[in-house]
Amino acid sequence: MFKFQKPNIGKISVLVAILSWLALLFVDITRIFGELNQIESGVAPEVSYILEISFFITVFLFYNYSIARNERNEFLNLIWRGASTGILAFGISILIRGFYLTLGDSRLSEDPLLRNFFYHINFALTTLFLISCTLLWKRLILYQKTKKVVQQWQAFEILLLISMFFIFFNKNTLDYSFLFGLVFLVIFSISLSINLKWIPYLTFKEKWKSILFLFIIIVSSSYLFIQLLSYSDAKQIPVNLTDNLFLIGLFAFVFIYSLFSFLVTLFNLPTSSVFEQKLVEAINFQRLSQSIKPGQSESQVLDILMDSCMSASYADAGWLELRDESAKTQLIQERFTDKKSILKITEILDKSKPFEHFDWNSTENELKVFHGKITHPVFKSAFMAPLVVNQKTIGRLFLLKEVRDGFNKEMINIISTFVGQACISVENYRLLNEAIKTERYKEELKIAQRVQRSLLPEKLYHNDAFEIAAFSAAADEVGGDYYETWDFGNNEFALIIGDVSGKGTSAAFNMSQMKGVFHSLVQTHPKPKEFLIMANNALSQCLEKNHFITTSYFIVHTEKKTITYSRAGHCPTLYYNSLEKKSSFLSIEGMGLGILRNQLFEKYIEEKSFDFNSEDILVLYTDGIVEAKNSQGFEFGYERLKNTLTKNALKNPEEIQQNIIQEVFKFVGKNRIADDDYSLMVIKFK
Amino acid sequence: MLKIEFTKVNDHFILSLSGEIDASNSVDLDAAIQEILEQGAKKILVDGTQLEYISSAGLGVFMSYLEEFQEKEIQIIIFGLLEKVHQVFIILGLDKLISIKNTQEEALEAMA
Repeated sequence: MFKFQKPNIGKISVLVAILSWLALLFVDITRIFGELNQIESGVAPEVSYILEISFFITVFLFYNYSIARNERNEFLNLIWRGASTGILAFGISILIRGFYLTLGDSRLSEDPLLRNFFYHINFALTTLFLISCTLLWKRLILYQKTKKVVQQWQAFEILLLISMFFIFFNKNTLDYSFLFGLVFLVIFSISLSINLKWIPYLTFKEKWKSILFLFIIIVSSSYLFIQLLSYSDAKQIPVNLTDNLFLIGLFAFVFIYSLFSFLVTLFNLPTSSVFEQKLVEAINFQRLSQSIKPGQSESQVLDILMDSCMSASYADAGWLELRDESAKTQLIQERFTDKKSILKITEILDKSKPFEHFDWNSTENELKVFHGKITHPVFKSAFMAPLVVNQKTIGRLFLLKEVRDGFNKEMINIISTFVGQACISVENYRLLNEAIKTERYKEELKIAQRVQRSLLPEKLYHNDAFEIAAFSAAADEVGGDYYETWDFGNNEFALIIGDVSGKGTSAAFNMSQMKGVFHSLVQTHPKPKEFLIMANNALSQCLEKNHFITTSYFIVHTEKKTITYSRAGHCPTLYYNSLEKKSSFLSIEGMGLGILRNQLFEKYIEEKSFDFNSEDILVLYTDGIVEAKNSQGFEFGYERLKNTLTKNALKNPEEIQQNIIQEVFKFVGKNRIADDDYSLMVIKFK
Repeated sequence: MLKIEFTKVNDHFILSLSGEIDASNSVDLDAAIQEILEQGAKKILVDGTQLEYISSAGLGVFMSYLEEFQEKEIQIIIFGLLEKVHQVFIILGLDKLISIKNTQEEALEAMA
């Protein structure tokens, strides 16, 4: 299988162009030989024409390819390419002329072969120059192209192609058809030459350079054109290659476009700074509107703001005044001035119109600007814009100029836009920071929640004599409710429920202390009253003075079927008596832990004991249950709790617990959030 | 919502509480008591007739001053509590440490 390599248009066209040119040279030399030796060479001029056209087309293809391929097609580069080709063609032509001058009247200077050879070289270089320029102009014309311009250009290329073949028809005579064709091409060139949109994009310096390059091109093309005219009259040339509509047309096009560009660039010089300024403003705006990236700070935005405003207004001095929460002002980004003079100027400004109307606390400072004259030895006009972030005025931007009425409408508009954009960027930055911070707090709370959840028991100790179920929910991420069980062995169990005063994080810390106290004391197998007294002693040492813990402590003996209990300020325990089929609250005196932090505490603690029967139910809970409020402000209360238990007394503890919680939820209503922690432990004896 | 007012009447202060005391506003109650103490009060009557709810945090405020009251021999009497609020004091056992009366007259009488 053959694999065709993709033909390299550049190389092929160069090769064909060189071959065409060599063939052209050879044919013409043959013709001269024939003429000199008076032998009919038999080569028709059409052969030369065909070779010439082939040369034109291949050079055209080569340049088209090479310019399209070149990535670095800045305008200045393009023009330089044209200019350098021009210099080459111009230079070599001058050298040839110089060579003939040195020859003087020698025989060699009359040698038609040599003359013909040089003619071909000049022809080739002129063609190269013109075609390269034409294609470079194509790039410039088609910058910011529209469909119309593209079509116009394509028509021009077709016209050029036709003009190459014109020679067959016209036979190198200057007749009306030639003139008509030329005029047509010139008009087309002029209409194309108004496409000069690339010029404003040059900087001031680039404009100067391009003026120089264009001048070189104009000079080169003029010289080459004059040289070409001189050939028309020359007798020694057998076939005139240069009196060609294509070449003359190209001359016209290259010259006209260069001239137009030259003049327009020249006249654009004075306004180029305005265009550059607008471009800088657009870029600045874009920089300001990009939200601050991580790792950047507000001051970078303010830096860009200051630079942008200074350059947009040609201000002679400027600074930013920032105010923090405590209304302390701070000066930053001072430009062409120092803190001392700023303080003096601010003092003057705050007393003069219209600046005195500014109010830091006004809510309508956004997009407001103040400008006017000031009485100052150096500065004559001043501009001030408040920086408003999140409806709060965080600072002021000041600009000063040494001329009167230095701030025109356009400047003020652009500066307000800059200020607005910078404020949005700062606001976004602050919001983002806050969001990150809150996110971190949430993360911390999640950890606290996890730790606290692990403080509540996973396992509830019990034996065959009773079943047990428990539930706990916190109003905040963490809560202050506590319950636990303990197996002493020998059918004896401890049950505890507790509620730490307050809620949230502080309650959660105290709850973990309570757990520690429980686990230490339970090891000594204390009686309920002893337990509470020791717990009070221990907690008195570590609770803050306005914190207390309420708790109920039970010891259940499943063999003796007795319950011994004490209460420390905790809401009374609910008990279902299966024989009477009645629920009631166990009444017992008792004071909360940490309320009385001395020996007197003992006096207020009781201990009671009773026997239980199977099917009896013990419900330990925290006040979040009875104090749960509905939308009308009514509490769930003790009665409802009691009735709910009686109603569900035949169910197992798990179901009783679920029913009570459901009842509370139903009472409170779906849309209300619990505002206290609530816990529940249900024990049912078998 | 909690509204706190206090006035000096003869030799005693009357601290009126209306609304609900919870964790969020218990600091206000603390500040009010602090101020009364700074004014050198020796007898404080707490008017609880308008008090609808008191949370553990609110109770904690009263509790935290018990020792100071005792040391400085300051008398404090709460009167006119709603039944359910009174119940909260009783359950916690605070009624054993702070005198609670039904009416202002009883309170004044008890103050002697």
